Amino acid sequence: MKTAIPRVLAAAALVLGTTVGAAPFASAAEVSMVSVVHGIPGQPVDVYVNGAKTLDKFEPSTVAGPLELAAGTYDVALTKPGEPVGSAILRNQALSVPGGKNLSLAAHLDAAAKPALTAFVNDTAAVAAGQARLIVRHAAAAPAVDVRAGGKPVFTGLTNPKEAKADLPAGAVEADVVLAGTSTVVLGPQSVNLKAGSATIVYAIGSAEGKTLGLASQVVDGLGGAPTGMPAGTGGAADTSAPWPLLSGFALLLVAATAALRRRSARPAGDVAR
Amino acid sequence: MRRVGGFAAVLVLAGVLIAVWWTGRPAPTVGAQAVRALQSASPPTPASAPFGAPAVPTVAATVPTPQPVTAPRTLTLPSLGVTAAVEPTGVDERGEFAVPPSVDVVGWYRLGPGLDEPTGSVVLGGHVDSATDGPGAFRRLAELEPGDEALVTGQDGGERRYRVVAREQRPKQDLDLAPYFARDGAPRLTLFTCGGDFDSGARSYSDNVIVTAVPV
Repeated sequence: MKTAIPRVLAAAALVLGTTVGAAPFASAAEVSMVSVVHGIPGQPVDVYVNGAKTLDKFEPSTVAGPLELAAGTYDVALTKPGEPVGSAILRNQALSVPGGKNLSLAAHLDAAAKPALTAFVNDTAAVAAGQARLIVRHAAAAPAVDVRAGGKPVFTGLTNPKEAKADLPAGAVEADVVLAGTSTVVLGPQSVNLKAGSATIVYAIGSAEGKTLGLASQVVDGLGGAPTGMPAGTGGAADTSAPWPLLSGFALLLVAATAALRRRSARPAGDVAR
Repeated sequence: MRRVGGFAAVLVLAGVLIAVWWTGRPAPTVGAQAVRALQSASPPTPASAPFGAPAVPTVAATVPTPQPVTAPRTLTLPSLGVTAAVEPTGVDERGEFAVPPSVDVVGWYRLGPGLDEPTGSVVLGGHVDSATDGPGAFRRLAELEPGDEALVTGQDGGERRYRVVAREQRPKQDLDLAPYFARDGAPRLTLFTCGGDFDSGARSYSDNVIVTAVPV
């Protein structure tokens, strides 16, 4: 992912430079990292940002980006591959991008199975040591659902286009999606690996009626999660502080010896020979 | 007079010897720059398209599933004559690395990379000593020098060879462990223990000793 960043920056610069030249220069704090998630089964698209083609033949169940976009309002359009922006199948001419956030722009079906564009703000706050964040988003033409982990409901009554999230111990969870309040499984079970210090975002996509329900996912790294300390010794035998007791003992002896020497040398020689 | 003078001379000599020993000890930290370079190393970049605009990277939105991980089982440090068992571990209730209770056993951070992964830091943490059980497996970790070998046997029975490139001694206070536990950067082995000044009241050392090794 890291290596991709310069290319993304270059791509974003190109997009911004050629099409958003008029946009005010934004400081780093006002720039958001924007991923684009394709959650409409069966329909590859071209994605236009402010009239410029940014993604070519973007396939369903893929994630693109992140793009670096300055805070502002964008015209985002999705067309069938090769078709002009004017005949977009989905367009938001005033998509608001806040500054300094991590966003996911999801193309998905709404509850009524119509294509929709939803901008989700990804919670990238640091996670505690050994923890991972699980974010679940309902982006499918389907009724309210519960998400269960290990058979127990963890998120309940989730509806399109809402999300639910929790920080969990890193590791594998066995998850499934059921119709809200029932044990009728509509998706899964699915093993999900939650990496320490990352946010795993899982989207329910597709259509229940069209039998295209599925899961899409993206992972946002860099949320911390490293141990806060390494306590690996209580004995003290490896202490490397200066041996002050030893040194001061020597110093005292030295002083005492010097003093004794002075006293003796101050006396007449006969005394010493006594 | 002569006796006292001789005694003083011996004392002075002893003091000088202590001072020489104290100042002549090896520097606690060597190779720190190598560690920074490993932490920030990027995997080789795929060749970019020769013409036109760089494409926006696109990846399949597949749900991340648990992948097999090769756990380390034993660690051998030939130059110190140390061989220790390695057990998987995580964090304790305070969010600190959970060093195994036995001073003879070294903990592998199972929430980070396992063996043979293309990037990141395989972390092993072990006791320098303990108040109750005496010297630990990593009692002499601070004596490792760049060029020394570290051998790690995995759960598959295969031995991996590493070469020490750095030994750092860093105050625990303000030490950010994240770069040492990172899943990115060059593949490396990071050995942790305690060192520095000992606070006998808190029964805790002031510093961490961190040895970094790279696959041979």
